[in-house]
Amino acid sequence: MAAAGSVRAALQVAEVLETIVSCCVGPEGRQVLCTKPTGEVLLTRDGGRLLEALRLDHPIARMIVACVSSHLKKAGDGAKTFIIYLCHLLRGLNAVTDRDKDSLMSENIQTHRRHWKNCCQWKFISQTLITFQTQILDCIMDQYLSGHFLSIFSSVKERTLSRSSLEWLLEAYFCGRVGRNNQKFISQLMCDYFFKCMTYKSGINIFELVDDAFVELNVGVTGLPVSDSRIVAGLVLHRDFSVYCPADGDIRTVIVTETLQPLFSTSGSEFILNSEAQFQTSQFWIMERTESIMKYLHSQNVKLLLSSVKQADLVIYYARLSGISVVECLSSEEISLIQRISGLSPFVIPQGSSQCEISDTALVKFCKPLILRSKRYVHLGLISTCAFMPHCIVLCGPVQGLIEQHKGALHGAFKMLRQLFKDLDLNYMTQASDQNDASSPLIYKNSREGNQLEEHGNGSLQKPCPNTVVKNKNKLEKAQTYLKVISNVELEAYIPCSTVKLTPTNTFQRDQTPRCFSLEKDGIIDDCEPLIESNSTANSTTENTRVDISCENLEIAGKGNVLPMGCRLLDMCTSQSYCSSAMPAGCVLPVGGNFEILLHYYLLNYAKKCQQSEETVVSMIIANALLGIPKILYKSKKGNDSFPQVYRRALHALQTNQPMVSSQTGLESVTGKYQLLTSVLQCLTKILTIDLVINIKRQPQKVHDEDSEDEL
Amino acid sequence: MTSNEKKNNGPQNKSCLCKLTLEMSRLEAKKPSLCNSEPLTSEGVRATLSVWRGIVSSCYGPSGRLKQLHNGLGGYVCTTSQSAALLRNLSVTHPIIKILVTSVQNHVSCFSDCGLFTAILCCNLIENVQKIVLTPTTVIKLNKHLLRLCTNYLNSEACGCRIPVDFHSARIPLCLVRSVLTSKPASMLTKEEVDHISALILRTFLLTIPENAEGHIILGKSIIVPLKGQRVTDSTVLPGILIEMPEVQLMKLLPIKKSGALKVALFCTTLSGDLSDTGKGTVVVPCGVSLESAVLDQLLNLGRQLVSDHVDLVLCQKVMHPSLKQLLSAHQVIAIDRIGVTLMEPLSKVTGTQPIGSLGSISTSSYGSVKNLRTAKFGSKHFFHLIPNEGTICSLLLCNRNDTAWDELKLTCQTALHVLQLTVKEPWVLLGGGCTETHLAAYIRHKTCNEPESILKDDAGCTQTELHLVAEAFCRALESLAVSLEHDGGEILTDMKYGHFWSVQAHSPSAVNWSDLLSRCGCGLYNSQEELSWSFLRSTRHPFAPQTCLPREAVGSSSTLTVDCLTAKLGGLQVAVETANLILDLSYVIEDKN
Repeated sequence: MAAAGSVRAALQVAEVLETIVSCCVGPEGRQVLCTKPTGEVLLTRDGGRLLEALRLDHPIARMIVACVSSHLKKAGDGAKTFIIYLCHLLRGLNAVTDRDKDSLMSENIQTHRRHWKNCCQWKFISQTLITFQTQILDCIMDQYLSGHFLSIFSSVKERTLSRSSLEWLLEAYFCGRVGRNNQKFISQLMCDYFFKCMTYKSGINIFELVDDAFVELNVGVTGLPVSDSRIVAGLVLHRDFSVYCPADGDIRTVIVTETLQPLFSTSGSEFILNSEAQFQTSQFWIMERTESIMKYLHSQNVKLLLSSVKQADLVIYYARLSGISVVECLSSEEISLIQRISGLSPFVIPQGSSQCEISDTALVKFCKPLILRSKRYVHLGLISTCAFMPHCIVLCGPVQGLIEQHKGALHGAFKMLRQLFKDLDLNYMTQASDQNDASSPLIYKNSREGNQLEEHGNGSLQKPCPNTVVKNKNKLEKAQTYLKVISNVELEAYIPCSTVKLTPTNTFQRDQTPRCFSLEKDGIIDDCEPLIESNSTANSTTENTRVDISCENLEIAGKGNVLPMGCRLLDMCTSQSYCSSAMPAGCVLPVGGNFEILLHYYLLNYAKKCQQSEETVVSMIIANALLGIPKILYKSKKGNDSFPQVYRRALHALQTNQPMVSSQTGLESVTGKYQLLTSVLQCLTKILTIDLVINIKRQPQKVHDEDSEDEL
Repeated sequence: MTSNEKKNNGPQNKSCLCKLTLEMSRLEAKKPSLCNSEPLTSEGVRATLSVWRGIVSSCYGPSGRLKQLHNGLGGYVCTTSQSAALLRNLSVTHPIIKILVTSVQNHVSCFSDCGLFTAILCCNLIENVQKIVLTPTTVIKLNKHLLRLCTNYLNSEACGCRIPVDFHSARIPLCLVRSVLTSKPASMLTKEEVDHISALILRTFLLTIPENAEGHIILGKSIIVPLKGQRVTDSTVLPGILIEMPEVQLMKLLPIKKSGALKVALFCTTLSGDLSDTGKGTVVVPCGVSLESAVLDQLLNLGRQLVSDHVDLVLCQKVMHPSLKQLLSAHQVIAIDRIGVTLMEPLSKVTGTQPIGSLGSISTSSYGSVKNLRTAKFGSKHFFHLIPNEGTICSLLLCNRNDTAWDELKLTCQTALHVLQLTVKEPWVLLGGGCTETHLAAYIRHKTCNEPESILKDDAGCTQTELHLVAEAFCRALESLAVSLEHDGGEILTDMKYGHFWSVQAHSPSAVNWSDLLSRCGCGLYNSQEELSWSFLRSTRHPFAPQTCLPREAVGSSSTLTVDCLTAKLGGLQVAVETANLILDLSYVIEDKN
């Protein structure tokens, strides 16, 4: 069984997922109840959980879900938005093909061939998508969007975080993650927790720690109202004391990872007992030894023994006698968390009989049982040696499913913060066309070169010369050259300071352009025409800063003028400059689709002056797909707050360079949004590159593995 | 009395969308319809919910109907009207009901009491809200505001339905225990038996309170010892610990010569002569070397040490070697083994011993003592009774006629003891018998009518009309909860001054003077001879301000009151509203059918 891996099929899958997911999006979103085969019930608004719970069978659906979960693992947010974006993108692509199909219909009668042809086309589009994602997106983010970013930090240099801005950020985050009657409470809880755990010197590593050890840092209590959730200072271990001896003051503690009582034999060794007496002596020795270790611990004033393994009765007995509290069977995660916080390393039992020196003990402020709903826990007041002040969250809720939801949301929030507090590197190439907003003296040369290039292009089209054939293998690239040329031409025309003496050249060139393009397909000219009309003013204002770079480029280009034709082409390629800049940590935007509308606006602008048809199409599709989210967010709003109104106001503000006003309070992480968009685009390219989905029934294991890897 | 109800599994109304998404491989079908996704709108879910509500509300209160649960294969039969037993044995399949059930179960395991209250209120809220045409988001928001109004009121000084508890007098605590006992009719107690048991429970509770308590009180433990087939009035409470033992064994131990305090050793390790853990490697034992005898030697040495330390009583959690036992009894040391892990902690507390985990030398500090021991016979069972010097451990010997009734009584006693503990922490009780519910409903109606701004102050998104609609649904839910107390066809009235609950017997002549027909309100605080005016609870009334600030003398005058634990009821109220909100917020149900 083979099914065509078409966009249409993917769209159908995505649309079903979208209907499910969209009910949970945004502040108005609702809950979904999932039952597991084990009978557990889970409440969720988390897109990732939801998609997992569906246990999808369809290969494309499974691929999408896998993409979502890998994105979630990194960013901790955005599963629902992922699906909605993807769905809109696919819808956009599908609409484009539907249009194209009409023209293709007459040419290809055989459906099969058409399918393959489609696939080739998809491949091109997916390549464009990759280019877009790796280069253009970063460029737009850096050059246009960055001007709108706000910073979560009240002082960027010291990275101090004010409570109110964190509250806005978290409230907006939890709006999409927990039931609406608990949003405010949970976000306050998280905020409190954050500020209690933070110290001045805490950096990003605190998020790493909380993210990694989140399971150990919270306790769920069922049967109590959510409002009883609270934060407790110190660490709560999910165990009870084996021995509890109340102690005051600072308590010295050691960690043990092996049994303190020596055993007859260790693994791999053999112990030969020759007589009863020998057995009794060895047992006596074991007892003596255990006693001496415990007495030694006692003499060192150790009051708490944390053990990762179960200790023998004898150890427990002596511990009780010497007033040492014991906690056994701690998980390795708990042990490593304690080690991370207190810097304590496990106590190594000396092999020889001589007395050892305990190198490592930690002080604990208090150590007492904590009873939560008749279950006993160990409550440790660890003294932190790192930037993290240990605190635990006690999460209450009427049912376990709700607690799980809150846990998941809190964990995701820490993941999101972890990403937000990192700088985001943006790498992109400034296109050759960027050169053109240059100072006037150089323009003449440049334009002349453009002129020649254009002629060369003409030549290659008509009678291919060996030098350029390699370069211009496919029509696409040819188109690229042309587009470069043409953009060179009109950009010059629009540069405000262009001198009078240049105008004749410009007009001359423009006369030439139609001639050149008449040889190509109609589509390209269509795309170019609006470009000529509206080479926006925004371009000239925003790109002023880039003059230096482009000047250099131009000089190279200028030199290239003297070189032979082929080389000059090469030069043109290298003259693209690699830019790498970074989005500083903590970039945020107001909620309510601000990011989407901004990116939509700039992408449209970009698309207008794009040289390649593929790129234009892709940019347009992405730009329009971006609006899907704000459309859903404003769905229930009426009147002045309805989506068209908001959209119109925002566009107006952008065109007139006024600040955008948002009706909602709340912030969202730009990094999260950016990562989401890149993940979606990657997923989309994956979908597009598949042409056939082949169902295989019986298959050798090895091949099957490869296959599934390929798909997921 | 016993109605045999079978759990309705509920129609399998898996929404068509779920089917579609689960079997996505057949996705060529049409788009899923959204209306199916709203689980609460489906007829099947509604029917299941109302069946479930019928089951729980018919159990509610002193005259509640009993449910007999059995598996139809001759297994264990459970007759109950308690939420704890009922919910544990019912297996529900529909996810929404499952959420409801687990939520109530979790509440019960936290507070022991008010499980049915929570369940019925939650169902009522869901059913009432569905009749209103408002979006779930609005309803949820307003429900939350109303809940806050309730909790604030119940916690405030002005609250007209709560009474302070003074543990210096036994009156209110006794009322509380009696209310718990009477509200569980499946324990089949007569009035005298209720009196006996409630006094017994209160005594048990008092025995667990340490005598010299300063600051932080740690309550002791009461161990319930089963004694089935006896009269309820034979139940008794004893300080210390009872260890059950066959008569023959008990005879062997006798006689106890010594009077005065006895020295006790308590072992947590096995004394059977087993080899201890030898590690991961191998231990090679040549022929002729008997490790068993070596261990036995060790045990006998231990026995000699115990004898020389003048220990009078040796208790062992696990098994004791017969030779050791013989050695000990030869020296007039009483040895009792197989105590079990549950008794270890109380034993260690009562005797002041430290459980010994060593076969070698024993530190003298790990021995403890008891004041006395004696044998006792209750019914057909023989016990070994350890009487402590002091301590907070006591044994409650609970008798009832048969197994089922005993199980129910045991649960009831545990509930009552737990409720007392909760009341010590928060010394308030709420008026029971439906009065708190009707009073609260009257209060909410009054508040929403006269001061809607104060409820909506921090929320601009809701209108007052919406508030009135939701508040009406909320109040109706509370009132129909109170109405569920009546199972015999009587009419429920409420007075227009206090907003209390009054019930009239069925088929009483209408349009007569109400004050002659009625005697006392549900909780027993007010009698009908006051100048009151009544109206049917079901009818619509003008909102009125129920009298707040309960006067002290009013509480003092009435003899028996029906009261509920404040902590448990408040928790139940919160959990019910939260769970209802949760269920109302569901837009999809995804069932994993693997």
